[in-house]
Amino acid sequence: MSLRFQRLLLIFLSLIFLTASIFLILFNSKKNLIFFYTPSELLNSKTQINDTIRIGGIVKKDSLKNIEDNKYVFIIHDNNNYVRVSYTGILPDLFREEQGVVVQGKLIKIDNIKAERVFAKHDENYMPTSIKKQLEKNKYWNKSYQ
Amino acid sequence: MISLVGFANLLFSFLIGLIIFFSYFFNNKNQISRTYYNLVFFKFFFIIVSFLTLIYAYVVSDFSNQNVFENSHSDKPILYKITGTWGNHEGSMLLWLLIMSGYTLFFIFNKNLKDNIKKLTITFQTSLFLLFAVFVILTSNPFLINSINFEEGMGLNPILQDPALAVHPPILYIGYVGFSLILSLALAGLTFKQIDYEWMNTAKKFTLFCWSMLTGGIALGSYWAYYELGWGGWWFWDPVENVSLMPWIAGLALVHSLMITKKEKLLIRWIVFLSILCFSLSIFGTFLVRSGILTSVHSFATDSARGIFILIIFLVSTGFSFILFIFKTDDSEEKLKLLFINKSTALVFNNIVMIIACLTILLGTIYPIVIEVITNKRISVGAPYFNSTALPILLPGFLLMSIAPALSWQNNKLPKYKSYIFVFIALSLLSFIIVYLNTFNVWGFIGISLGLIIIFSSLLSVYFNYKKFGLRNFISQNNALLAHIGVGILILGITTSSVYKSEFSETFMINEKKQINNYSYTLLKLETNQDSNFQELVAVFSLYKDNKKIAEIKPSKRYYNVSKMITTEAGIYHSWFQDFYVIIGNEKDKIWSVKIYQNPLVSLIWIGVIIMVMSGFLGIRKV
Repeated sequence: MSLRFQRLLLIFLSLIFLTASIFLILFNSKKNLIFFYTPSELLNSKTQINDTIRIGGIVKKDSLKNIEDNKYVFIIHDNNNYVRVSYTGILPDLFREEQGVVVQGKLIKIDNIKAERVFAKHDENYMPTSIKKQLEKNKYWNKSYQ
Repeated sequence: MISLVGFANLLFSFLIGLIIFFSYFFNNKNQISRTYYNLVFFKFFFIIVSFLTLIYAYVVSDFSNQNVFENSHSDKPILYKITGTWGNHEGSMLLWLLIMSGYTLFFIFNKNLKDNIKKLTITFQTSLFLLFAVFVILTSNPFLINSINFEEGMGLNPILQDPALAVHPPILYIGYVGFSLILSLALAGLTFKQIDYEWMNTAKKFTLFCWSMLTGGIALGSYWAYYELGWGGWWFWDPVENVSLMPWIAGLALVHSLMITKKEKLLIRWIVFLSILCFSLSIFGTFLVRSGILTSVHSFATDSARGIFILIIFLVSTGFSFILFIFKTDDSEEKLKLLFINKSTALVFNNIVMIIACLTILLGTIYPIVIEVITNKRISVGAPYFNSTALPILLPGFLLMSIAPALSWQNNKLPKYKSYIFVFIALSLLSFIIVYLNTFNVWGFIGISLGLIIIFSSLLSVYFNYKKFGLRNFISQNNALLAHIGVGILILGITTSSVYKSEFSETFMINEKKQINNYSYTLLKLETNQDSNFQELVAVFSLYKDNKKIAEIKPSKRYYNVSKMITTEAGIYHSWFQDFYVIIGNEKDKIWSVKIYQNPLVSLIWIGVIIMVMSGFLGIRKV
């Protein structure tokens, strides 16, 4: 093989590789985005049943129920609207009623989500920025959460 | 009082930094005088005294210091009083400054470089130090004094009170911050157009050192996440993890590029570019984490003023570096000897792969920010994006890795290529059978065969080297292969532990026995312990295989009195082939909810990382 031919081959292979990577990035970033909503936003969004989403808000007082071993239901609200959540597994240590929480899971009904993961506040000083901003907007932000 | 001493020392160090910086313009640029040595030494001395006073304030629980008040408590064990010093934003930035000065001091004793390059490198490094020192003094001063007297502090976040996390920040920072020296070295070399053999050698030693430390630091953090977060995994593609991975990949590309130029003095501009990229990514990562722009489980207490400040540092240093990079063109016209499959080609291709992988991670990490700014929608990019994008991109690189060190610099021939092809085919078949006999999974097959191929072709190359050269320079001959074996082991561990992980949600009563996946678990008893700053509830499980007891597993929950926080400690039994990972949850009517993971071959991950780090350190000695 001549040197020139070898180089051409290399450049050609690199180009194929680059195109493949760009294609992968575009394809995957479209497929694997998870949108984040508060309960009120969820109502106005175009989310379809079975989409994976994240919901953030406050756990409603007296809404947490342990219906079976390891199976929980609770309600997340943002003072205007609410979403029901069902979850199987161990709730995080910091999960409490009337506290901020983010759940990630599949929407099974318009106001019902089957959570795969529950994120509670990491410690008493920490609240995910994303919820904080939203709650501030909905005037449900209490300085004591900070 | 002690805080004032600490702050005064910080200021002294800053002033000496200013003197070092300006002396460059008024002094002989080609010679390093005795006084200059002393200045560099005293800059380090004052900053270390400053840092020690902060540690002292933590140890004696001096709550007149605001930083100590906010992050410590007199009940804490002494170890966590000390490590609490860098467990918060302000203290960790002081550590950052200390490490920066430490590198300067270490560097000035380098004997191989000419004085003019050394002096300019130190000047660049000092200007970076000054930027960060201003940042610490103005926005993140750890020596602020409380206006009111407090009897007791607020305590350190309990999940940070852990041995792995105690040493994680310093090791990680030695890696991150070390890239600043490589940046300075690259800029100095660029200015004088003196990127020669000595330069390469020095750069290679420092890069290897920083990269090995960064690897160790990331692995420690990951190990901590494995047993402390209780999610059964060790990597979550969290933004904070991603920003540490980007300079790591860039540093890895740099290490490999420095290998090419060791043999043929080429690709210099590319190396300078990578050197700039490494530290730029480090600062950019710091910006993302500390500004609070990203939502992450690891977030620091955030403040927008800090974010803007770090952004300015990032723009100034990166901007300056790239402008210098563009205007100082190199005149060398040597051509790179790129053949179809020789070593140079393999290394160039490796660099392309790594940079693209780095880019995909960067995109995934900042995409949520961009979307939020443009459309005001909040999204998160989940682990599936990274897994299905970064991994396929890295695949050809991994495949190449198995033979690259055995390739020739000069021609297209791979010596004894038939044996490599044999290894490739035999191991692919073998792993296909292994995977087929378990549950078939494409990723499992790809990962296991890749891991095995990398390990065995590297071993094959070691064997050929041994036959050819004997034991002469055995380590330096085979060091690269050793690192690659480490990567192979790591890939095996990652694949098996993620693809073949099994997860069970169960409930247990006392003395109840349950059969799970060929093993049975019994909840023997519950114990309570009282430690100095927490109460602990320990569940004692017995693990049986075929009615024979093989281990006790003790997951627990801790209640920290000071912060009124509960943490979960996973109970893990590491056997040779799998980890048994148990977490206890809540109790209801004496029934405990329990989560059990069986993670096969996780230990290979840590073994692989240890081999890589070891090989990195061995590489520093090799000339």
